[in-house]
Amino acid sequence: MTKKGIFLQRKFAVVLISSLLLTSVFSCQRRQIKIPELPSDRHQPYNFIGQKGMVVAAHPLAAEAGLEILKKGGNAVDAAIATAFALNAAEPFASGIGGGGFMVIFLAEEKKVTIINFREKAPSQAFPELFVDKGKINEQWRRSHGLAVAVPGALAGWAYALRKYGTKELYDVMQRGIDIAEKGFAVSKTFSKINKDEYEKLLLTAGTTSCYLNEGFPYEPGDLFRNPELARTFRFISSKGVQEFYKGELARKIVSAVKDNGGIMTPEDLALYEPVEQCPLKGTYKDYTLYSIRPPGSGGLHIIQLLNIIENWPIRKWGHNSPSYIHHFSEALCFVFADRDHYLGDPDFISIPVIPLTSKQYAAQIVSKIKSNLMLGYYPFGKFNGKQNDKENTTHLCTMDKEGNIVSLSQSINDFFGSGIIPENTGFLLNNHMRDFSTDPNSPNAPRPNRRPVSSMGPLIMFKKEKPFLALGSPGGTRIFPSLTQIIINIIEFGMSLDEAIESPRFFNYSSRGKAQNISLESRIPQTTINSLEAIGHEVIIREAFDKYFGGAQGIMILQAKKIIHGGADSRRDGSGAGY
Amino acid sequence: MKKILIAALLVFSLLIIEAFTQGKKEGVLSIFEQPILITSAGQNAEVHLASVLAKRAELTSTLSQNATVKDLENIKTIVVVIGTSLKGLGAAGLDIAQEKERINLLVEEAHKKNIPLLLLHLGGEARRGKLSDEFINTFLPHAKMVIVVKSGNKDGLFNKICDKHDIHLIEVERTVNALEPFKQAFISKE
Repeated sequence: MTKKGIFLQRKFAVVLISSLLLTSVFSCQRRQIKIPELPSDRHQPYNFIGQKGMVVAAHPLAAEAGLEILKKGGNAVDAAIATAFALNAAEPFASGIGGGGFMVIFLAEEKKVTIINFREKAPSQAFPELFVDKGKINEQWRRSHGLAVAVPGALAGWAYALRKYGTKELYDVMQRGIDIAEKGFAVSKTFSKINKDEYEKLLLTAGTTSCYLNEGFPYEPGDLFRNPELARTFRFISSKGVQEFYKGELARKIVSAVKDNGGIMTPEDLALYEPVEQCPLKGTYKDYTLYSIRPPGSGGLHIIQLLNIIENWPIRKWGHNSPSYIHHFSEALCFVFADRDHYLGDPDFISIPVIPLTSKQYAAQIVSKIKSNLMLGYYPFGKFNGKQNDKENTTHLCTMDKEGNIVSLSQSINDFFGSGIIPENTGFLLNNHMRDFSTDPNSPNAPRPNRRPVSSMGPLIMFKKEKPFLALGSPGGTRIFPSLTQIIINIIEFGMSLDEAIESPRFFNYSSRGKAQNISLESRIPQTTINSLEAIGHEVIIREAFDKYFGGAQGIMILQAKKIIHGGADSRRDGSGAGY
Repeated sequence: MKKILIAALLVFSLLIIEAFTQGKKEGVLSIFEQPILITSAGQNAEVHLASVLAKRAELTSTLSQNATVKDLENIKTIVVVIGTSLKGLGAAGLDIAQEKERINLLVEEAHKKNIPLLLLHLGGEARRGKLSDEFINTFLPHAKMVIVVKSGNKDGLFNKICDKHDIHLIEVERTVNALEPFKQAFISKE
C-alpha cells in the first residue's frame, strides 16, 4: 500500500472511531430517562393534586413509577412496591433490597389498618460486645464493615405485601425500576452532595470501579447515573423469584460480600428471614386518630408521646415556632429521649411498656414537670409499676388509590450508601443497620442474635372522625419523629397546607443520659427567637435554611370536603409527587 | 490540507484546555513543591477527593483531617480543602471555633516556615452557605492559589477575595477537572 493509501486509511479509521464515539454519547443521552419538571423554586410550598390517586416519594422518577401502576389498575400496595423498586434505582443511597423498613397499610373496604415489619435482623452470631475492638468501640466496624450489615428484609417485606394485599405480579411492579437502572438519569444536586459526603466510605468498600462513583470520583449534578447490574439483579429476581435473594445465588453473594468484609452473616440467617405482619400502634390527638408502627420502630410511639404532651399546651396562643413553642417542645423531646434510651429494644425479646408510655396520664406527668421559662436540665425516664408484657406481637413513600386504600412506607439502608458493600456484580448496597444497636452492652438495644435494632422510623396514617386524613413519613434518623410531630401540628394547629407544613422551618433537641443537648434549628428561624431561647438557657446550633438533617418528609392529605388529594414532598431532598 | 488539520487540532486543543481550566486570573501558578500535607478547613468530605487527586497526579502527599503544626515537619506545601460540614465536625468532636483555631495555627506556622498554601473548594454550590463562607473569608486570603469547582463560585465570592489579595484563581467545571491544574501547580519543582 502507498503512503497516501495508508494515510487515507488511518484518516478513515479516525473518522469512523470518532463518529462511533459521538453516536454512542448522543444515543446514550437520548436513552436516559428524563426527570419530570418540578417547580423552579423547590422550596416554595407546592401541593401535587389528584382526585383518584397519588404517589409521593423521594425522587420524581419513583413517584412516576407508582402512578404508572395506579393508572394501569394497580392498587395502593402495588404502587408502593413499584415505587420502592424504582427508589432503589433512582435514590440508591437511601433504600433498596439490601435494607429494610416498615409499612402501614389502610384497607378502605375493610376499614382496617395493618403493619408490615420488614426491619433487618442481627445475624445469629451477634453479641452485645460485637463492636468492641481492643477495649474500645470501633466506629468504622459500625459504619463500613461486614459487621455493620444486618440481615436485609426489604425484598421479603415487599413480596409479602404484594402477595397478600396487592393485585400485580412482582414482574409488573419492578419494570420501571429496571428501566431507570438500565437507562439512567441525570444526577441531582442532592445525589451529588450525598455522593461526595460518603466518598471516603465508597472508596473503602464499594471501590473506585463501582457504579456509585463516576470514574473514581463522585457524580456531579447533571451527570448520567446508570446501574445496569441492578437492572440485571431485578430481572434475575423477577424470573427466579424472591427466594433467590434469601436462599439462592444472590444469598451466596450477599454472605460472601459480608464475610469478605469481616462480617458474621451466615446463609441460614438469610434463609430464615421473614417479615412480620402486626396490628398498629394507636394514638389520638384531639379528634384525630393516628396509626403507626410498633417497636422496634420507635417513631410511632414517640409521635404519640409528643402529641399527648403537646395536647396540654395553648400552642396556638404561643404561635408557630415561637420561643415558647420551641422551648416546651424541646423539653418534651428530652423526656421522650430519656424513655427511648431506657426502654426501647426488640419487643420479640424484651418487654417494653408501650401502653403506659403512650398514655395521656404519663404525658400529664411530664407536662407538670416542664417549666415555662426554665430549662430543667435533668430528664429522667418514666417509671412504671412493674414491667408490662407487650405481647401484641408488636412493629417513606405514600400511595393512595381510587378505592381509598393507602400505604405509608418507610425503609432504609441506614446511613447514606449503607455499608458501601455491594455483593459481587449485583449493583445493590447492603445496609449498615447493625449501627442502630446500642454500643452499651447493657442496653436493651444491644446487639444480640436475631434481634431487630431500634429504629426511629414512624410511617403513619391519621384519621379524622374515622375518615383518612393524612399519610406521612420521613427519613432523618432521630429527627424523624420530632419532624413528623411538627408537621402534624403545623397542619392541625396552625392551619397550614400539607406542603407548607413540610417546608416550614424545623428544630430538634434531645437528651443523652438525662442531660439536654443543644437545640438544632434551621436558619430561617428568626434571630429574635434564637435570642429568647438562649436567654432561657438553651444552647443553639444554627443549620442550613433547608437542611436534610431534619429529614425529607413525604405525605398525602385527603381533603374530604373538596374531594381532592394533596401530595406534599420535601424540598430538603428530591421529594416529588404524581397524582391523577 | 495539512495546515487546516493542524489549525483545527490547535483550536480543538485550546477548547479542551479551556474546558478543563478556566483560569480567571493568570492561570496555574507552578510554584508548589512536594511533599504535601492535605487537610480540610471545616471537616468536609471533599478532603478525600483532594487525596485521590494527589494520588492520580502522582504527588507525594499525606492526608490528615485534623492536622496540627507538628504535621508540618518536612512539608513543602499545605493543601487546605475548604468547606464546613456539621456532620464532619460532629464526627471529629470539634465545634466551629475549635476547627477555626486549628486551621489558624496551621496557617500561622506555615507562614513562618514559608510553606505556601494551596486552597481547594471542591464541594460546589452545596458546600457554600454561612458556615463555609466564614472559613472561605478567613483563610482564602492566606492562599497563593485556589482551585474551585465552578458551581461553588456562582456569586463570585472567590473572584472578589482573589482580586483583592492577588491570589491565582482557577475555576474548573467538575472535580475531576481539578486534576490537571493541581498537577501543573507542582510541575516546576518536582
